[in-house]
Amino acid sequence: MSENDSTIQNSPEPNLLSGISVIELGDEISAAYCTKMMAYLGADVLKIERPLVGDSARSVGPFPDSAPNIEKSALFLYLNTGKKSITLNLESSSGQKIFKSLIEQADLVVENLPPGKLESLNLDYIHLSSINPDIVMTSVSDFGQTGPYKNYKATPLQHYAFGGLMYITGLPDREPLQMKPRLPEYGVAQNAFVASLSALWYRDSTGIGQHVDISTAEYSASILENGLSMYSYTGNKLGRSGNKGYGRAAWGIYTCKDGFVGVIAGPEHKWSAMAELMDEPRLADEKYTERSGRQIYAEEIETLMEPWLMSHNKQEIFEQAQKLGLAFAYVATPEDILNWEHLDNRGYFTEISHPNAGSYKYAGAAFQAEGIEPYWQRAPILGEHNDEVLLPIIENLKMDIQDLKLEKTI
Amino acid sequence: MALALQDIRIVDLSRIWAGPYGTKLLADMGAEVVKIEALDRLDPHRGAVRPQAGTGNYPDGEPGNDPWNRNGWFNSLHQNKYGITLNLSHAQGKEVFRELIAMSDVVIENFRRGVLDRLGFTYEELKKIRPDIVVVSMPAFGNKGIWKDYIQYGIGQEQLAGVDSMGGYSVAEGPIKSGINHGDPITGSHAAGAILASLMYRRRTGKSVFIDLSQLDSSISLMGEHLLDFQMSGKNPTTTGNQHHSFAPQGVFPCSGEDEWVAISVTSDSEWQKFAEAIGHPDIGLNTRFADSFSRKQNEPELFPLITEWTENKNKFEITNTLQIAGIPAAPVMTNEDIYDDPHYQSRSLMEISDHPSTDIQLLPGVGWKMSKTTSEIRWHAPRLGEHNEFIFRDLVGLSEDYIASLINEGVSGTQPVGA
Repeated sequence: MSENDSTIQNSPEPNLLSGISVIELGDEISAAYCTKMMAYLGADVLKIERPLVGDSARSVGPFPDSAPNIEKSALFLYLNTGKKSITLNLESSSGQKIFKSLIEQADLVVENLPPGKLESLNLDYIHLSSINPDIVMTSVSDFGQTGPYKNYKATPLQHYAFGGLMYITGLPDREPLQMKPRLPEYGVAQNAFVASLSALWYRDSTGIGQHVDISTAEYSASILENGLSMYSYTGNKLGRSGNKGYGRAAWGIYTCKDGFVGVIAGPEHKWSAMAELMDEPRLADEKYTERSGRQIYAEEIETLMEPWLMSHNKQEIFEQAQKLGLAFAYVATPEDILNWEHLDNRGYFTEISHPNAGSYKYAGAAFQAEGIEPYWQRAPILGEHNDEVLLPIIENLKMDIQDLKLEKTI
Repeated sequence: MALALQDIRIVDLSRIWAGPYGTKLLADMGAEVVKIEALDRLDPHRGAVRPQAGTGNYPDGEPGNDPWNRNGWFNSLHQNKYGITLNLSHAQGKEVFRELIAMSDVVIENFRRGVLDRLGFTYEELKKIRPDIVVVSMPAFGNKGIWKDYIQYGIGQEQLAGVDSMGGYSVAEGPIKSGINHGDPITGSHAAGAILASLMYRRRTGKSVFIDLSQLDSSISLMGEHLLDFQMSGKNPTTTGNQHHSFAPQGVFPCSGEDEWVAISVTSDSEWQKFAEAIGHPDIGLNTRFADSFSRKQNEPELFPLITEWTENKNKFEITNTLQIAGIPAAPVMTNEDIYDDPHYQSRSLMEISDHPSTDIQLLPGVGWKMSKTTSEIRWHAPRLGEHNEFIFRDLVGLSEDYIASLINEGVSGTQPVGA
């Protein structure tokens, strides 16, 4: 611990989730993003990590200078802002006793261990609720706690494949494609946030806690636009249409002078602005106005758009189209995003300094509550809060701290 | 079974996907969501009032007499909600809206910025009607900042958030958009979370909350490690296609059948040994050129033909099963049809029966998680246009029969869209 940040204070009141006590047993994204949101909304989040190695996100990177270091992984630094970290070996009986002591004071446990793991340690919901009857526990997993595939293993590639997002991404005559950002895992963490708060709301209304079982697979399958209802209604299969959404022109990504832009024409009444924007009267042809026309005549439209797109930059295309009321976008890079004045106007970024990793601009809160500041604090060093959190418990349980360290319980 | 959120009432002005997805999550858990549409401005997901033949998502492709009640896109996002029609530009519409706000906990809208203000319902005004109201306003770029009046959909949020800049088959071939308008579910779920966090705050403090939910902010929040990566390395992250940046082999391989694929990842040396055996090449498992992760990554392309030779005449589910038994991450690339028919998803009740008077019985996706002591099943079908006008106006708000009749006569409410 460095001298200038030795005290991490609890989030000051008032914040949306002040007073909520959360324990996270999280690895990588699908639990940690859920509890990251809780932390910046003022909940006290205690992250329990494996001794010595910690959360795998610490080993994933990317790292400054591509040099692996468990205190410098971008994935870990981002996902764990505002949390405390303790190390605890849940396989050992003394580790389990300490864990149970922590549970007595907690409102919520969020975990994403492999299904069945906590049961094998007698630390599943049934056991935890016998210690703390109104506790809420949220279990996030790849495929769910039940069902024939519950023990299947998955990396981000399998998340995209099994949830149905991959099949509809890519070109029709090529293999289906994953996306680089790990959106299914972030998405299930978002929904775990919703489910956890719903369970806490119910507990506050009735005094009854419960267990939430939520999976990345089901999250992904439930956001396939109308894919599942379409199959029920019509028997039609979704396919891939590359950068031409639904096979239509002007609903996707196009090349421009310095990069790629989102030409997004929107509803029929806005189509006439396309011809004006691109200074191409032939685009005003009525046959292109309806969405069905933009599908049938997609190639014609694209030929007409190309000269203007190729002679303008992404930023100017975006701005000029928006000024005409067209919802254009562009394919922004992280570098572009970090430099947007709009986000600075919103106070979106926060500069956060970490004693090992250095100081960076961090992406901000997903939403802003007027008059309430999010709680921003750097991610913890592995086991940084062992003394603060564990010493009173160890004393109370009459355990010997040296023994616990020797047997790598903490 | 009990409902987790049965004591919450939400007035829902949101349209299309993002907002309705957020309120769907809450309605499925029992929140009383009152969706308001106007007869001349239906939720666009209901489709055209008079659709062209062959367009839209109707049972067996037939729009029928009331196509706005038969659109699968709308009907799968609005189960468990109440649906009313009310023209908020009209004086009587505003009056009813005020009465509804007075008895509600939350208002959510995803209009263009300023639309609700211009209708006379600023946050300040809403607070006068209901002092502890929670308001979620979710314009594309938020309520402040130089782009606040710009507009956007989920498709463009994905591009602006940086998601697409690191996508595609290869850097040379350029980005590829995702198969969905990804900004919408991201923002919708964040909106649902914002509502619950705000209500917990209100329960504790008695205070109202205004949430400024920029769909752009919300989407970039899932890109945090990539923004740090740029600052650490000075380089923008780039695509690695279906391959992984460090472990190998990984890829998507063809299987028996038309456009059938399996996604395979070998993430460690021990998985590599088992994989080499599983595909009938134990010899390669011993080859020093593939012995560790680094050398496998260097020589990965050489492995693709061998893997394809093994997968191309086999079923994607059988391959998955074989590899998973050996402890190797693998999954079939699922179509919407596969998901619908899959035994695992079925055992989890992903799809639920929804009986709708305008479409008959359909299977639609439920909430996507299980709670041990409260239910989130489909309790009733998505409302037909204005289906709950009577129930909400008379039984909830307590309007007189005469007043309700005048709403209908003035065209402020009703069940037939303008132009039908």
